[in-house]
Amino acid sequence: MIQIHDLSLDLDEFHLRHVNLTVAEGEYLVLLGPTGAGKTVLLECIVGLHRRHSGTIAVDGVDVTRLYPEERNIGYVPQDYALFPNMTVAKNLAYGLRARRAPPDEVAAKVRAMLAKLDIEGLSARHPATLSGGEKQRVALGRALLTEPHVLLLDEPLAALDENTRCELAAGLREIQRSVRGTFVHVCHNLEEALEVADRVAVIDDGGIVQVGTPEEILYRPACLFVAEFTRTRNLLPGRAEAGGPGAMVTLAAGAVLPSAVPAAGPIVASLRPERIRLLATGGGPVEGELGGTIVRVNPRPSHVEVEVNIGSRLVLHLGHGEASSLPSVGQPVRLQVDPKDVRLHPPPRSRATNAEGGGQANRGEAS
Amino acid sequence: MSSSRLRSRTRRFERALWLVLGLVIAGSAWLFASSLGQTDGKAIRSLLEQPWFWRSAWLSVFTATITTLVAMLVGIPTAYALSRFRFRGRAAAQVLLDSVLVVPASTVGLVLMVAFQYPPVLALQDALGFRVVHSVASIVLAQLVLALAFGIQAWRAAFDSLNPRYEHVARSLGGSRLRTFFTVTIPLAKSGILAGIVLAWTRALAEFGAVLLLSGTFRMRDAAQFSGLSRWLGISNADVLSVGMWMEIEGGRTERGVALAFTLVLVAGLSVYLLHRLGDSRRSWVHS
Repeated sequence: MIQIHDLSLDLDEFHLRHVNLTVAEGEYLVLLGPTGAGKTVLLECIVGLHRRHSGTIAVDGVDVTRLYPEERNIGYVPQDYALFPNMTVAKNLAYGLRARRAPPDEVAAKVRAMLAKLDIEGLSARHPATLSGGEKQRVALGRALLTEPHVLLLDEPLAALDENTRCELAAGLREIQRSVRGTFVHVCHNLEEALEVADRVAVIDDGGIVQVGTPEEILYRPACLFVAEFTRTRNLLPGRAEAGGPGAMVTLAAGAVLPSAVPAAGPIVASLRPERIRLLATGGGPVEGELGGTIVRVNPRPSHVEVEVNIGSRLVLHLGHGEASSLPSVGQPVRLQVDPKDVRLHPPPRSRATNAEGGGQANRGEAS
Repeated sequence: MSSSRLRSRTRRFERALWLVLGLVIAGSAWLFASSLGQTDGKAIRSLLEQPWFWRSAWLSVFTATITTLVAMLVGIPTAYALSRFRFRGRAAAQVLLDSVLVVPASTVGLVLMVAFQYPPVLALQDALGFRVVHSVASIVLAQLVLALAFGIQAWRAAFDSLNPRYEHVARSLGGSRLRTFFTVTIPLAKSGILAGIVLAWTRALAEFGAVLLLSGTFRMRDAAQFSGLSRWLGISNADVLSVGMWMEIEGGRTERGVALAFTLVLVAGLSVYLLHRLGDSRRSWVHS
């Protein structure tokens, strides 16, 4: 378990601001954010590579803030894996145990067991320069896991791989995490990768954590406009909210009205995921959360059909291929339905900085 | 601009580059060749017959080696600390160390001499019964200041170019900083460290100005002035080769001086060749 309390750090290029984060025992947490957000720096703070930060870090209940990296027993797999090029795979794996002065036959036995577990027995005498990306990753994981660390930190472990191996190895990572019942923290900037492996996702922007939650929470209840944008919520609609209905009624710029379950008043931006909008059959009676519009564009994709509807503002929805077969043609009126719970309201961009720091909303995921 | 004009511009520029390169190479080759032309078999034979020549060669190799060992002992940790530690005044410290590289070596010798003639330092030497200036040991001191500056620069570059993640991982695996240094840093920076060693040794062997000013000359001195240790080591009544060369020229024995110069050029050439070989091997395995 990792508990980070009020961690701040100022480096030349990166900074962290008041980071509070708890990673539970046996949890797979992904630190997700754009390049330069401070994900790697946060990871390096946990490893113990930055010593001039404020705040505290505790691992398994022990305050490690003032400890050297070698005293923390934290597994670390950096970007590009940093396998020691002057050592064979077996020597790389043995490094941690030998540093702990384990007896040679114990080291050899544990290395053999790890090679078997990761299914890389054939590589034991090879040098890192001769390994493929996937093989390097396994060796790096094995090297970090052999010392049975309290937690394992992975910095962009899949970034160096092509798209196909990425998916395969993401699943492999999850499997390894379950089999060792370890606490994993994985840094990445790729949304699909995060959703693939994470129990929970911590979204980090500009040195601060803006939301922590399950993949569903991140997708369907973004805590701020940044998270909505980063999770590719296509519909970001500026408007004005007034108290009423299930929480608030939002009048969009062009006059259409959206119901939202989030209570708010004043200028806002509403976010609504395209796959959460339902298509209603024509000719039925009025329904709660109903919206009328005309079809502007229909765009089939491998996994869904993207439909653009003019409701005054442009709305994008994703329909299943089956559902889309009953769609009227372009230019025809169409009836849509939104669940007020799916309409999230955020302060408009100008005040985004204050929103990101708004403790109450940002930490909602933490409590769950 | 038309394609043909672009082409002719490129061609003209390339031709100019070839010309400059050719001139520089030819000039350097001519320099070395002329040193051969000024001497002959007779002069070389006469040089080799001088007992002081062999003592000088031995003294040069002996002092350069001692200098290099001391430079490694002090310089490698210094370079590593400079490369890894961030502290106030780090930039100033680097400027201080690097400026030794561009100061005339004779100035370094003069500064050393002044420092050791400073009354309190002189009193300390007298108390210990040993005068540094003009002693055989001062040769090592003069060489050391320069070899150290060159070595530290090369070693620091070697440590700087090493991806720090290797060390980070080694430490996260439970290796102490010391263990990490010897099992990861040194092996990965090996070729750069070797290059620094060759550079320091070559620099020490070639040093002239600093040695001349701090240590003076020895060949003409009375044998009784040398310690038993110097005599036993076979380095008494001898000057390092560069100083020996200067004395031959000063004494009007130009051919022998040039023959000596040729010896030094040969050793330097071999060292530089070695350095380049090390540079090649470094490129081939750092980014694996």
